[in-house]
Amino acid sequence: MTTGILVYAHNSRSLDYALMSLIAAGLAKKNLNVPVSLVTDPSTVEWMRESNILEKATSVFENLIIVERPITDNQRKLCDGKNESMVPFVNTNRASAYDLTPYNRTLLIDSDYFIFSNRLSEYWNIDDDVLIGQSINDIYSGDRLGYNDRYISEVGIKLYWATTVMFSKTPRAKTFFDTVNFVKENYKHYADIFRFDNRQYRNDIAFSVAKHILDGFINLDSGRLPPVLTTLDKDILASVEDNKLTFLISTPLGEKYIPASITDTDIHIMNKQSIIRHGSQLLEMI
Amino acid sequence: MDERLQAALDFSNYQQTFSIQRKTLKEKIEAKLTYGFNGGLFRIDKNLLTFVEVISAKRSNGVVLMDANDNPILIDDLEAFKDEIFSRYFEATNEYYKQYQQLKKSRSVEKLIA
Repeated sequence: MTTGILVYAHNSRSLDYALMSLIAAGLAKKNLNVPVSLVTDPSTVEWMRESNILEKATSVFENLIIVERPITDNQRKLCDGKNESMVPFVNTNRASAYDLTPYNRTLLIDSDYFIFSNRLSEYWNIDDDVLIGQSINDIYSGDRLGYNDRYISEVGIKLYWATTVMFSKTPRAKTFFDTVNFVKENYKHYADIFRFDNRQYRNDIAFSVAKHILDGFINLDSGRLPPVLTTLDKDILASVEDNKLTFLISTPLGEKYIPASITDTDIHIMNKQSIIRHGSQLLEMI
Repeated sequence: MDERLQAALDFSNYQQTFSIQRKTLKEKIEAKLTYGFNGGLFRIDKNLLTFVEVISAKRSNGVVLMDANDNPILIDDLEAFKDEIFSRYFEATNEYYKQYQQLKKSRSVEKLIA
Protein backbone atom coordinates (compact mmCIF):
# COMPACT_ATOMS: atom_id res chain seq x y z
CA MET A 1 0.00 0.00 0.00
CA THR A 2 1.35 3.44 -0.88
CA THR A 3 0.86 6.20 1.67
CA GLY A 4 1.38 9.89 1.19
CA ILE A 5 0.24 13.40 1.89
CA LEU A 6 -1.71 15.75 -0.35
CA VAL A 7 -1.71 19.54 -0.06
CA TYR A 8 -3.61 22.10 -2.12
CA ALA A 9 -2.26 25.55 -3.00
CA HIS A 10 -3.95 28.19 -5.14
CA ASN A 11 -2.33 31.56 -4.59
CA SER A 12 -4.37 34.67 -4.12
CA ARG A 13 -3.27 38.28 -4.41
CA SER A 14 -3.25 38.52 -0.63
CA LEU A 15 -1.70 35.26 0.50
CA ASP A 16 1.25 33.19 -0.63
CA TYR A 17 -0.30 29.75 -0.43
CA ALA A 18 2.58 28.35 -2.48
CA LEU A 19 5.03 29.20 0.29
CA MET A 20 2.69 27.94 3.04
CA SER A 21 2.10 24.66 1.23
CA LEU A 22 5.84 24.17 0.80
CA ILE A 23 6.42 24.65 4.53
CA ALA A 24 3.49 22.40 5.47
CA ALA A 25 4.63 19.73 3.03
CA GLY A 26 8.26 19.85 4.11
CA LEU A 27 7.38 19.49 7.77
CA ALA A 28 4.88 16.70 7.10
CA LYS A 29 7.36 14.80 4.95
CA LYS A 30 10.11 15.19 7.54
CA ASN A 31 8.03 14.13 10.54
CA LEU A 32 5.77 11.47 9.00
CA ASN A 33 8.41 10.16 6.62
CA VAL A 34 6.11 9.74 3.62
CA PRO A 35 6.03 11.50 0.24
CA VAL A 36 3.94 14.61 -0.41
CA SER A 37 2.17 15.75 -3.56
CA LEU A 38 0.82 19.20 -4.34
CA VAL A 39 -2.37 20.07 -6.18
CA THR A 40 -1.93 23.49 -7.71
CA ASP A 41 -2.52 25.57 -10.83
CA PRO A 42 -0.30 27.14 -13.54
CA SER A 43 -0.34 30.65 -12.08
CA THR A 44 0.72 29.39 -8.65
CA VAL A 45 3.58 27.42 -10.22
CA GLU A 46 4.58 30.59 -12.09
CA TRP A 47 4.59 32.44 -8.78
CA MET A 48 6.82 29.73 -7.28
CA ARG A 49 9.25 30.32 -10.12
CA GLU A 50 9.17 34.10 -9.64
CA SER A 51 9.62 33.83 -5.89
CA ASN A 52 12.50 31.36 -6.25
CA ILE A 53 10.91 28.47 -4.37
CA LEU A 54 10.18 26.24 -7.37
CA GLU A 55 13.47 24.37 -7.08
CA LYS A 56 12.83 23.70 -3.40
CA ALA A 57 9.25 22.70 -4.23
CA THR A 58 10.33 20.15 -6.80
CA SER A 59 12.63 18.56 -4.23
CA VAL A 60 9.97 18.46 -1.50
CA PHE A 61 6.97 17.43 -3.59
CA GLU A 62 6.92 14.02 -5.21
CA ASN A 63 4.34 15.27 -7.73
CA LEU A 64 3.05 18.67 -8.79
CA ILE A 65 -0.49 17.93 -9.90
CA ILE A 66 -1.56 20.82 -12.09
CA VAL A 67 -5.29 21.49 -12.28
CA GLU A 68 -7.43 24.33 -13.50
CA ARG A 69 -7.69 27.09 -10.93
CA PRO A 70 -11.16 26.90 -9.36
CA ILE A 71 -13.39 29.85 -10.13
CA THR A 72 -14.86 31.19 -6.92
CA ASP A 73 -15.95 34.45 -5.39
CA ASN A 74 -15.36 33.10 -1.89
CA GLN A 75 -14.10 35.83 0.37
CA ARG A 76 -13.31 35.64 4.01
CA LYS A 77 -12.44 38.01 6.83
CA LEU A 78 -8.97 37.18 8.03
CA CYS A 79 -7.24 38.70 11.02
CA ASP A 80 -3.57 39.29 11.49
CA GLY A 81 -3.57 39.94 15.19
CA LYS A 82 -5.76 43.00 15.58
CA ASN A 83 -5.76 43.88 11.86
CA GLU A 84 -8.60 42.63 9.70
CA SER A 85 -8.91 42.27 5.95
CA MET A 86 -11.13 40.52 3.43
CA VAL A 87 -9.18 38.01 1.38
CA PRO A 88 -10.16 35.77 -1.54
CA PHE A 89 -10.25 32.11 -0.63
CA VAL A 90 -9.62 29.63 -3.46
CA ASN A 91 -10.29 26.27 -1.89
CA THR A 92 -13.45 24.92 -3.44
CA ASN A 93 -11.86 21.94 -5.20
CA ARG A 94 -10.89 19.89 -2.13
CA ALA A 95 -13.42 17.20 -3.03
CA SER A 96 -11.22 16.30 -6.01
CA ALA A 97 -8.63 14.83 -3.62
CA TYR A 98 -9.93 11.30 -4.10
CA ASP A 99 -9.45 11.42 -7.88
CA LEU A 100 -6.16 13.31 -7.80
CA THR A 101 -4.21 11.56 -5.08
CA PRO A 102 -1.51 9.19 -6.31
CA TYR A 103 -1.60 7.26 -3.02
CA ASN A 104 -3.69 4.35 -1.75
CA ARG A 105 -3.88 5.93 1.68
CA THR A 106 -3.75 9.73 1.76
CA LEU A 107 -3.47 12.34 4.45
CA LEU A 108 -4.98 15.56 3.14
CA ILE A 109 -3.87 18.61 5.09
CA ASP A 110 -4.45 22.35 4.87
CA SER A 111 -1.44 24.43 3.95
CA ASP A 112 -1.60 26.17 7.33
CA TYR A 113 -1.38 22.89 9.26
CA PHE A 114 2.17 22.20 10.38
CA ILE A 115 3.15 18.70 11.44
CA PHE A 116 5.91 18.53 14.04
CA SER A 117 5.26 15.03 15.42
CA ASN A 118 4.55 11.54 14.09
CA ARG A 119 1.15 11.36 15.82
CA LEU A 120 -0.81 10.91 12.60
CA SER A 121 1.37 7.93 11.62
CA GLU A 122 -0.68 5.87 14.06
CA TYR A 123 -3.71 6.34 11.79
CA TRP A 124 -2.35 4.99 8.49
CA ASN A 125 -3.61 1.48 9.19
CA ILE A 126 -6.85 2.25 10.99
CA ASP A 127 -9.74 0.32 9.45
CA ASP A 128 -11.85 3.44 8.69
CA ASP A 129 -11.86 4.44 5.02
CA VAL A 130 -12.29 8.14 5.82
CA LEU A 131 -11.19 9.99 8.96
CA ILE A 132 -11.62 13.71 9.64
CA GLY A 133 -10.32 16.05 12.35
CA GLN A 134 -12.92 15.56 15.06
CA SER A 135 -12.91 19.11 16.43
CA ILE A 136 -10.90 22.25 16.95
CA ASN A 137 -8.71 22.37 20.04
CA ASP A 138 -7.96 26.00 20.83
CA ILE A 139 -4.46 26.37 22.25
CA TYR A 140 -5.78 28.87 24.82
CA SER A 141 -9.02 27.29 26.07
CA GLY A 142 -12.54 26.66 24.91
CA ASP A 143 -13.55 30.16 25.99
CA ARG A 144 -12.59 31.71 22.70
CA LEU A 145 -14.64 29.31 20.58
CA GLY A 146 -18.18 29.93 19.48
CA TYR A 147 -21.03 27.58 18.72
CA ASN A 148 -20.14 27.78 15.03
CA ASP A 149 -16.71 26.34 15.78
CA ARG A 150 -18.32 23.21 17.16
CA TYR A 151 -21.48 22.85 15.08
CA ILE A 152 -22.27 23.83 11.53
CA SER A 153 -24.99 26.17 12.84
CA GLU A 154 -26.91 27.02 15.99
CA VAL A 155 -29.32 24.16 15.29
CA GLY A 156 -27.04 22.07 13.13
CA ILE A 157 -24.93 18.96 13.32
CA LYS A 158 -21.42 18.50 14.68
CA LEU A 159 -18.70 20.37 12.79
CA TYR A 160 -15.68 18.32 11.75
CA TRP A 161 -12.47 20.08 10.73
CA ALA A 162 -11.29 19.21 7.24
CA THR A 163 -7.87 20.65 8.17
CA THR A 164 -6.86 16.99 8.41
CA VAL A 165 -8.54 14.23 6.39
CA MET A 166 -7.22 10.72 5.89
CA PHE A 167 -8.73 8.37 3.33
CA SER A 168 -8.15 5.20 1.36
CA LYS A 169 -8.80 4.48 -2.29
CA THR A 170 -11.94 2.46 -1.67
CA PRO A 171 -15.51 2.60 -2.96
CA ARG A 172 -16.64 3.85 0.45
CA ALA A 173 -14.21 6.77 0.34
CA LYS A 174 -15.17 7.52 -3.26
CA THR A 175 -18.80 7.74 -2.18
CA PHE A 176 -17.75 10.09 0.57
CA PHE A 177 -15.94 12.49 -1.77
CA ASP A 178 -18.74 12.26 -4.34
CA THR A 179 -21.12 13.27 -1.55
CA VAL A 180 -18.89 16.20 -0.53
CA ASN A 181 -18.97 17.32 -4.16
CA PHE A 182 -22.74 16.91 -4.32
CA VAL A 183 -23.15 18.98 -1.15
CA LYS A 184 -20.89 21.64 -2.64
CA GLU A 185 -22.89 21.76 -5.88
CA ASN A 186 -26.14 21.98 -3.94
CA TYR A 187 -24.83 24.13 -1.11
CA LYS A 188 -27.92 26.35 -0.84
CA HIS A 189 -30.21 23.35 -0.65
CA TYR A 190 -28.17 21.74 2.15
CA ALA A 191 -27.93 25.09 3.91
CA ASP A 192 -31.73 25.14 4.00
CA ILE A 193 -31.88 21.61 5.39
CA PHE A 194 -29.07 21.90 7.92
CA ARG A 195 -29.61 25.60 8.61
CA PHE A 196 -26.06 26.80 8.05
CA ASP A 197 -24.86 30.10 6.61
CA ASN A 198 -24.32 29.55 2.89
CA ARG A 199 -22.91 32.96 1.99
CA GLN A 200 -19.49 31.46 1.55
CA TYR A 201 -18.52 27.89 0.81
CA ARG A 202 -16.72 26.15 3.61
CA ASN A 203 -15.02 22.76 3.21
CA ASP A 204 -15.48 21.92 6.90
CA ILE A 205 -19.25 22.17 6.49
CA ALA A 206 -19.42 20.19 3.24
CA PHE A 207 -17.25 17.43 4.76
CA SER A 208 -19.32 17.43 7.98
CA VAL A 209 -22.61 17.14 6.10
CA ALA A 210 -21.23 14.34 3.92
CA LYS A 211 -19.98 12.46 6.98
CA HIS A 212 -23.30 12.92 8.75
CA ILE A 213 -25.22 11.57 5.74
CA LEU A 214 -22.91 8.58 5.23
CA ASP A 215 -22.85 7.79 8.94
CA GLY A 216 -26.60 7.20 8.61
CA PHE A 217 -27.68 10.60 9.97
CA ILE A 218 -26.29 9.84 13.41
CA ASN A 219 -23.24 11.01 15.32
CA LEU A 220 -20.71 8.15 15.16
CA ASP A 221 -17.50 7.92 17.18
CA SER A 222 -15.58 6.37 14.31
CA GLY A 223 -13.82 8.09 11.44
CA ARG A 224 -12.19 10.70 13.62
CA LEU A 225 -8.70 12.13 13.60
CA PRO A 226 -7.41 13.88 16.74
CA PRO A 227 -8.73 17.36 17.58
CA VAL A 228 -6.88 20.01 15.60
CA LEU A 229 -4.70 22.05 17.97
CA THR A 230 -5.14 25.58 16.71
CA THR A 231 -3.97 29.14 17.17
CA LEU A 232 -6.63 31.57 15.96
CA ASP A 233 -6.03 34.33 13.43
CA LYS A 234 -6.07 36.94 16.16
CA ASP A 235 -3.02 35.18 17.64
CA ILE A 236 0.38 36.04 16.26
CA LEU A 237 3.29 33.78 15.42
CA ALA A 238 5.99 35.93 17.01
CA SER A 239 9.15 33.94 16.47
CA VAL A 240 10.57 30.74 15.04
CA GLU A 241 13.80 29.46 16.52
CA ASP A 242 15.35 26.02 16.22
CA ASN A 243 12.42 23.68 16.74
CA LYS A 244 10.28 26.12 18.71
CA LEU A 245 7.39 28.35 17.66
CA THR A 246 6.51 31.22 19.98
CA PHE A 247 3.06 32.75 19.78
CA LEU A 248 1.28 35.73 21.22
CA ILE A 249 -2.09 34.33 22.20
CA SER A 250 -4.91 36.83 22.33
CA THR A 251 -7.06 36.71 25.46
CA PRO A 252 -10.82 36.18 24.92
CA LEU A 253 -11.62 39.89 25.01
CA GLY A 254 -8.50 40.78 23.07
CA GLU A 255 -7.20 43.10 25.77
CA LYS A 256 -3.73 41.59 25.85
CA TYR A 257 -1.51 38.84 24.54
CA ILE A 258 -0.22 35.81 26.42
CA PRO A 259 3.12 34.41 25.25
CA ALA A 260 3.26 30.66 24.66
CA SER A 261 5.56 28.31 22.82
CA ILE A 262 5.32 24.84 21.33
CA THR A 263 7.78 22.18 20.23
CA ASP A 264 7.18 18.79 18.61
CA THR A 265 3.41 19.35 18.46
CA ASP A 266 1.23 19.56 15.35
CA ILE A 267 -0.38 22.97 15.03
CA HIS A 268 -2.94 24.72 12.83
CA ILE A 269 -1.94 28.38 12.47
CA MET A 270 -4.89 30.42 11.30
CA ASN A 271 -2.95 33.69 11.10
CA LYS A 272 -1.59 33.10 7.63
CA GLN A 273 0.11 36.47 7.32
CA SER A 274 2.26 35.68 10.33
CA ILE A 275 3.27 32.38 8.73
CA ILE A 276 4.39 34.28 5.63
CA ARG A 277 6.38 36.74 7.74
CA HIS A 278 8.35 33.83 9.20
CA GLY A 279 8.50 31.92 5.92
CA SER A 280 12.27 31.79 5.63
CA GLN A 281 12.80 30.56 9.23
CA LEU A 282 10.05 27.95 8.78
CA LEU A 283 11.62 26.78 5.54
CA GLU A 284 14.87 26.20 7.41
CA MET A 285 13.05 23.66 9.59
CA ILE A 286 12.11 21.35 6.73
CA MET B 1 12.89 40.82 20.14
CA ASP B 2 9.54 41.79 18.62
CA GLU B 3 8.21 44.87 20.46
CA ARG B 4 4.76 43.33 20.83
CA LEU B 5 6.32 40.23 22.32
CA GLN B 6 8.34 42.34 24.75
CA ALA B 7 5.21 44.32 25.74
CA ALA B 8 3.21 41.14 26.17
CA LEU B 9 5.97 39.58 28.25
CA ASP B 10 6.01 42.64 30.49
CA PHE B 11 2.29 42.54 31.20
CA SER B 12 1.51 38.90 30.92
CA ASN B 13 0.03 36.82 33.62
CA TYR B 14 2.41 34.01 34.49
CA GLN B 15 -0.37 31.57 35.24
CA GLN B 16 -2.01 31.97 31.84
CA THR B 17 1.20 31.14 30.07
CA PHE B 18 1.77 28.26 32.46
CA SER B 19 -1.69 26.88 31.63
CA ILE B 20 -1.09 27.02 27.90
CA GLN B 21 2.35 25.41 28.26
CA ARG B 22 0.86 22.65 30.39
CA LYS B 23 -1.95 22.12 27.91
CA THR B 24 0.41 21.80 24.94
CA LEU B 25 2.67 19.50 26.95
CA LYS B 26 -0.32 17.25 27.74
CA GLU B 27 -1.21 17.34 24.05
CA LYS B 28 2.28 16.17 23.16
CA ILE B 29 2.14 13.32 25.68
CA GLU B 30 -1.38 12.36 24.58
CA ALA B 31 -0.02 11.95 21.07
CA LYS B 32 2.65 9.57 22.32
CA LEU B 33 0.03 7.50 24.13
CA THR B 34 -1.98 6.84 20.97
CA TYR B 35 -1.18 3.50 19.37
CA GLY B 36 -2.49 2.28 16.04
CA PHE B 37 -2.37 -1.49 15.83
CA ASN B 38 -3.86 -4.04 13.44
CA GLY B 39 -6.53 -1.65 12.17
CA GLY B 40 -7.51 -0.43 15.63
CA LEU B 41 -6.56 2.60 17.68
CA PHE B 42 -5.58 2.22 21.31
CA ARG B 43 -5.18 4.84 23.97
CA ILE B 44 -2.44 3.66 26.29
CA ASP B 45 -3.77 4.39 29.76
CA LYS B 46 -4.04 2.72 33.15
CA ASN B 47 -7.06 0.70 32.06
CA LEU B 48 -5.41 -0.78 29.00
CA LEU B 49 -2.13 -1.51 30.79
CA THR B 50 -3.82 -3.19 33.74
CA PHE B 51 -6.21 -5.19 31.59
CA VAL B 52 -3.48 -6.44 29.29
CA GLU B 53 -1.30 -7.35 32.27
CA VAL B 54 -4.18 -9.35 33.81
CA ILE B 55 -5.24 -11.23 30.71
CA SER B 56 -1.67 -11.98 29.66
CA ALA B 57 -1.49 -14.27 32.69
CA LYS B 58 -4.38 -16.27 31.23
CA ARG B 59 -3.63 -16.25 27.53
CA SER B 60 -0.88 -15.06 25.24
CA ASN B 61 -2.13 -15.59 21.67
CA GLY B 62 -5.25 -14.73 19.73
CA VAL B 63 -6.72 -12.29 22.23
CA VAL B 64 -9.39 -9.80 21.18
CA LEU B 65 -9.25 -6.33 22.72
CA MET B 66 -11.66 -3.42 22.33
CA ASP B 67 -9.92 -0.37 20.92
CA ALA B 68 -10.64 3.31 21.64
CA ASN B 69 -13.73 3.15 19.40
CA ASP B 70 -14.89 -0.11 20.98
CA ASN B 71 -14.02 -2.05 17.85
CA PRO B 72 -12.79 -5.63 18.48
CA ILE B 73 -9.16 -5.97 17.45
CA LEU B 74 -7.35 -9.30 17.27
CA ILE B 75 -3.99 -9.32 19.03
CA ASP B 76 -2.04 -12.31 17.77
CA ASP B 77 0.96 -11.91 20.02
CA LEU B 78 -0.17 -10.41 23.31
CA GLU B 79 3.33 -10.41 24.86
CA ALA B 80 4.71 -8.27 22.02
CA PHE B 81 1.70 -5.96 22.28
CA LYS B 82 2.17 -5.68 26.03
CA ASP B 83 5.86 -4.89 25.68
CA GLU B 84 5.07 -2.20 23.14
CA ILE B 85 2.40 -0.41 25.17
CA PHE B 86 4.42 -0.55 28.38
CA SER B 87 7.48 0.76 26.59
CA ARG B 88 5.48 3.63 25.06
CA TYR B 89 3.84 4.38 28.40
CA PHE B 90 7.14 4.60 30.28
CA GLU B 91 8.72 6.71 27.57
CA ALA B 92 5.80 9.14 27.45
CA THR B 93 5.28 9.48 31.19
CA ASN B 94 9.00 9.89 31.87
CA GLU B 95 9.10 12.67 29.32
CA TYR B 96 5.94 14.19 30.84
CA TYR B 97 7.50 14.12 34.30
CA LYS B 98 10.76 15.64 33.13
CA GLN B 99 9.13 18.42 31.15
CA TYR B 100 6.52 19.12 33.82
CA GLN B 101 9.24 19.51 36.45
CA GLN B 102 10.97 21.93 34.11
CA LEU B 103 7.72 23.91 33.76
CA LYS B 104 7.18 24.00 37.52
CA LYS B 105 10.71 25.28 38.06
CA SER B 106 10.22 28.09 35.57
CA ARG B 107 9.26 31.08 37.66
CA SER B 108 8.95 33.64 34.90
CA VAL B 109 7.13 33.85 31.60
CA GLU B 110 10.45 34.10 29.77
CA LYS B 111 11.61 30.83 31.32
CA LEU B 112 8.28 29.10 30.65
CA ILE B 113 8.52 29.70 26.91
CA ALA B 114 12.30 29.25 26.66
